[in-house]
Amino acid sequence: MVEVLKSGLFTTIQDKGRTGYRSLGVPVSGAMDAISAAMANKLLDNSTQASVMEFTMMGPRLQFKAPTSIAICGAGFHARINDVPIELDKATEISENDVLKIDHPDYGNYGYLAVLGGFEAEMVLGSRSFYNNITKKKRLEKGDILKFSTASSEKIIRHASFSIDEHHFNDEAIAVYSGPEFDLLPKKFQKKIMNTSLKVASQSNRMAYVVEGLEDLSAKEIITAPVQPGTVQLTPSGKCVVLMRDAQTTGGYARILQLSEQAICKLAQKRAGESVRFKLIESL
Amino acid sequence: MKQPTIKPFGKQAVLIEWNPSVDNKTLTAVLQVKQLVLKTYTKEVLETVPAYSSLAVFLKKEAKQDDFIDRLSQKLEKIPKAEPAISRVLHIPVCYDPKFALDIEDVAKTNNLTIPKVIELHTKPTYKVYFLGFLPGFPYLGGLDKRLQTPRKKTPREVIEAGSVAIGGAQTGVYTTSSPGGWNIIGKSPLNYFSIAKNPPALLKAGDFIKFIPISKDEYRKIEVEVNVDIYKLREEEKNG
Repeated sequence: MVEVLKSGLFTTIQDKGRTGYRSLGVPVSGAMDAISAAMANKLLDNSTQASVMEFTMMGPRLQFKAPTSIAICGAGFHARINDVPIELDKATEISENDVLKIDHPDYGNYGYLAVLGGFEAEMVLGSRSFYNNITKKKRLEKGDILKFSTASSEKIIRHASFSIDEHHFNDEAIAVYSGPEFDLLPKKFQKKIMNTSLKVASQSNRMAYVVEGLEDLSAKEIITAPVQPGTVQLTPSGKCVVLMRDAQTTGGYARILQLSEQAICKLAQKRAGESVRFKLIESL
Repeated sequence: MKQPTIKPFGKQAVLIEWNPSVDNKTLTAVLQVKQLVLKTYTKEVLETVPAYSSLAVFLKKEAKQDDFIDRLSQKLEKIPKAEPAISRVLHIPVCYDPKFALDIEDVAKTNNLTIPKVIELHTKPTYKVYFLGFLPGFPYLGGLDKRLQTPRKKTPREVIEAGSVAIGGAQTGVYTTSSPGGWNIIGKSPLNYFSIAKNPPALLKAGDFIKFIPISKDEYRKIEVEVNVDIYKLREEEKNG
C-alpha cells in the first residue's frame, strides 16, 4: 500500500486506456506519454496492462506501507527517497515507511511511477485510467491510499536500467499522417503547415494541446465526425488543436493531420513555449 | 445513395465516409456498415465510432491496415441497400419548471415566443438520436423546431448538471453527465443517462428516437426516487426508422 501525503499539481492513475466504449462517447484516456509509462513497467517486469501513477510539473509525496520496487520514467523529475536522490529510468527497492518525494522536472511534462504489479485503482469499463464522471476520482488527493496489484513477477530485476532516447525530449519533429480533411486545404496551406515551426501554447492539457503559428490559415468546419487522440484540428480562425488522450470521441473541426502513436508521446512531453514541427510520414 | 469511400485515419484506424449530410437515410447506411464491420472482422476490429455521415473503425495492433481496406472495399460493393430498421421511441420525462429551466425565458425572448409555446414546440417532435459523443452517453439529436434555435451563451457555465435539457444553436440535447457548457438550459430530466453499473452504460443509442414528455416538479421528484432505487420503467414504443 501507498499513502498520498501530497498530491502534486495533477496526479492520476493511468494505464493503456479504455477501449470499447468510444461509440458511447467515452474517451480513451491512458498515459499521455505511453512510451515512458511502458518503460517504467518494463523495468519492473510488470505486465503491459499494469497501471502507473502519472504526474506533471510538480510531483506527489508518497509514503509506502509495504516493501516493493519502483521505477520512475518520463520527464526529468527530481526524486528522493527519505531525502536521498534516486536515479530515473532504473528499478529501485523500497522499504516499509519510505517516503518518496518527487519535485519539478528539468525537462518534459509528464512523469511515471511504476510499482511492482501496478496500482490497484478502481477498474471501470476495463481500465483504471482516471477520467472525470467515469472513475469516482479524477485526480489523486492527500490521504488517498492505493493498494498494489499482485506482483506480476517474483523476480525483481535489481539493476535493470534503460537509457532515455534523447530525441524523445529534444527533437522538434512530430511525425504525422495526412488527416481526412488535409487534401481539402489549398496547396499553399499544406506547405505552410509542414514548414512552420510552431509553439506549444500554455492552455495545453490531457484533452488537447494548442500549437501556435498557423493563425493566418483557416479551415471550414465539418459535419461532426469521429476524432481520436493525435487528431490535429484546424479551426476557421486558424487555431490549431492537437487532441490528446482525454479527447472527446467526435468533433466538428477540420481534421488536417493525424499524429503517429509515438508522436503523441513525444508531443505530450513538449512544454509551453517549446517548438514543434509537423513532419509528414510518406504514405505507403 | 453513392458508395461510401474508405481511407486511412492514421495508422490504426480507417474512416468510411458518405456524402456529408444529416439525414435518416445516411444514418441508416452508417449503422448498417457499423453492424457489418463489427460482425465480420472481430479479429481485427477494436471498436467503431459512428457519426452523422461517417464511421471510424479502430483496428487492433496486429491488423494490417491496407489489406483491411482492400477487403472492406470489396465487401461494401456487395452490400444490399439498407432497409430502415424498426427503432425504439423512448419517452423522456422533462420538467420545464423555472426551478430547472434557467434560460427558458431567454430562449422565449430570443424567439418572440411565450414560455408555454417554447415547451409546446420542444415536446412536439420525435427526435432522432444520430450518435453519441461530446460527453459519455450524450445524444446528437436531429429535429429541433427552427423557431427554438438560440445561440449558445456568450459565457459558458462552469457546471451544467447531469439531466439538464438544453438548446445550443440549431441543436437540442440532454447533458448526460455534469459538464461545463454554453447551451441554454430549458428543463431537467430525472433519468440516469450514463451509469457504469449498467450494460450498456448509456441509456440511449444511435438510431433511437426520443420524445420529451413534460412533467411537473412533483412528478420529477417521484421519478427521481424511482430512478435512484432502480424501479423506474422507461416508456417506449416502436417506429419505422
